[in-house]
Amino acid sequence: MTAVLTMARQELVALRRERLPLVLLIVFVVMVSVSSLIGWLTNTTVSNVWQKTVQAGLTQAPNPFADVSPLYYARNTVIYLVLIGALMAIVVGVTSTMRDRKARTIDLVLSRPIRVPAYLLGKLAGIGAWLAMILAAVAVISWASISIIASGPLAAGDSLRLAGFYAVAWVLLLAFVALGMLSGIYASRETTALLVPISIWSIVAFVLPQIGTSANPVSLLNPVPSVKIPGGAFDTLNTVVSPLSVTEQFKTASGLIMANPEVTGSLAPSLFVIVLAFAVGAIALLATKRDRIRGALRD
Amino acid sequence: MTSALVIARKELLDLRRNRFLLAILGFVLVAVVISVVVSATQFGAKLDAYIAYVDALRAAGSATNPAAPQLFPLQLLRGSIEYLEILGALFAIVMGYGMIAKEKQRATLQLIYSRPIGRYSLPAGKLLALAVAWLIAVAVIFGAVTATVAIVGHAQFAFIDAQRLIIAAATAWGYLLLWSALALGLASTTKRLSTALIIALVLWLTVVLILPQIGDTMDPDNQVPGGLFKSLAIAKPDEKAVLANFAGFDTVRNGLEVSSITKHYERFTFAVLGIKDQYNQQPLAAVWTGTWNNAIALWLAAFAALGFAILTTTRTKLLRRTS
Repeated sequence: MTAVLTMARQELVALRRERLPLVLLIVFVVMVSVSSLIGWLTNTTVSNVWQKTVQAGLTQAPNPFADVSPLYYARNTVIYLVLIGALMAIVVGVTSTMRDRKARTIDLVLSRPIRVPAYLLGKLAGIGAWLAMILAAVAVISWASISIIASGPLAAGDSLRLAGFYAVAWVLLLAFVALGMLSGIYASRETTALLVPISIWSIVAFVLPQIGTSANPVSLLNPVPSVKIPGGAFDTLNTVVSPLSVTEQFKTASGLIMANPEVTGSLAPSLFVIVLAFAVGAIALLATKRDRIRGALRD
Repeated sequence: MTSALVIARKELLDLRRNRFLLAILGFVLVAVVISVVVSATQFGAKLDAYIAYVDALRAAGSATNPAAPQLFPLQLLRGSIEYLEILGALFAIVMGYGMIAKEKQRATLQLIYSRPIGRYSLPAGKLLALAVAWLIAVAVIFGAVTATVAIVGHAQFAFIDAQRLIIAAATAWGYLLLWSALALGLASTTKRLSTALIIALVLWLTVVLILPQIGDTMDPDNQVPGGLFKSLAIAKPDEKAVLANFAGFDTVRNGLEVSSITKHYERFTFAVLGIKDQYNQQPLAAVWTGTWNNAIALWLAAFAALGFAILTTTRTKLLRRTS
């Protein structure tokens, strides 16, 4: 247990010094911070557009955003987590396991009385704590910006929903961290170590949802999950690939947690897929053999 | 000139031997082909639904003859173009970065510069190799998607379609070369390779994913499933009249979109291939009139990236000691 804590503490120190995760972290925090503002600007414009059409006698339809939840302003955060957050998690995972291989300090570490699972669990725990701190800070920023936009503190129920959303995001990011760490262990080159998980991310985020729903890649940059086509080949394909589309499952879970009226479905299966993705990654990581993590790099 | 050609030939040989690069290019190829198959299958499903609808009308004794969905083969390439703009750009960065990174990591730059080569031979040779490699890759990708459209989509191509495909392929070549040249220049100019990779990845994330996503999110019509104006039952001329009151907001939104070179590539290619309905089946002259600014912006950016790569890939910068 002490070894795990020592590794976790060392990982936190190393993360503070790494530049690539830090730059991605800045981009991530900035985008999440401004996402509420973008949401508010857009919603206000849509309401004004609706008002103009009513004044001109062009429509009698109700304002589409009349009864929308304040959490709707933060809906774009979902896509920033899928894009920037997931990439940041991959980079953090890769650099974590690559660091000791590059510096050849892995042999020194393993000469101490520490088992490989404890070494890797410590790293994962350290990154987990780092991500938890970041997501907690981002959640506070989201809460404050929504409260300012809504001219009052967010209700307790909505605050809990927001906290729940970030908790699910934490599990999703940990799944990508595990993927990055595995790639950092198995790749023989640093560039390969970064590109393989990024390619897997692009398959999960773009290719699989497209096969299941025929949605084009750019339309998958939407914070709500793509709509499946009922009946026919796509319905069958969607049944097969949908559980593998972890990012689409995250969009579904987030939409349901934040009470987005555009998202339908049930929460439990989506949560199960996200937790399963993390569990599979963590088990594969902790099952790594001693010789494997000592593998030399080619460049 | 001769030394630039020698370097280009050697780079092409290296690229051919790099199994990892071949694998990622194969991945892009598979993704774009899958995309065409998915689009063709979706069109088939739409056609089946239409036939079932017509049969139901006939069975009910109706004489109504609804218009059949029409296949425009080049519109099936939408997903493929989007994959090139997202994944293609990422892999182009890797190729450009790798060209300098391998020399720095293997310390072969000292050896190269011990030979009597010209000031611009190294960057010219490497960029020439990248240009040839992307030309081959783009030809293979467009050849594969065209064959897939013909086989899976049962489409026939006219001469004008071939012209459109060649223009789209040339535009994709310029776009991919832009990202490779930018990454090559960054890898040369930064003291540490990791800094180049950080800047390139953040640029890719911002230009390819974030800016277009913000622009798309801010579009009022995208706020309601199926479109805001459709949900309010407002006709197109009235929509334009209403939106004229929000010109300031739209200028900001469009400004964000056009600050991304990816959006210029997308707008021009979508117009040439008729993916954007406004330009579908329009003559190329009309397409050019509507989107020449996007084409010019893309090629200016590509030439700027090439210039950046040539000017920054110098002996002094490359042989600097890293901290």
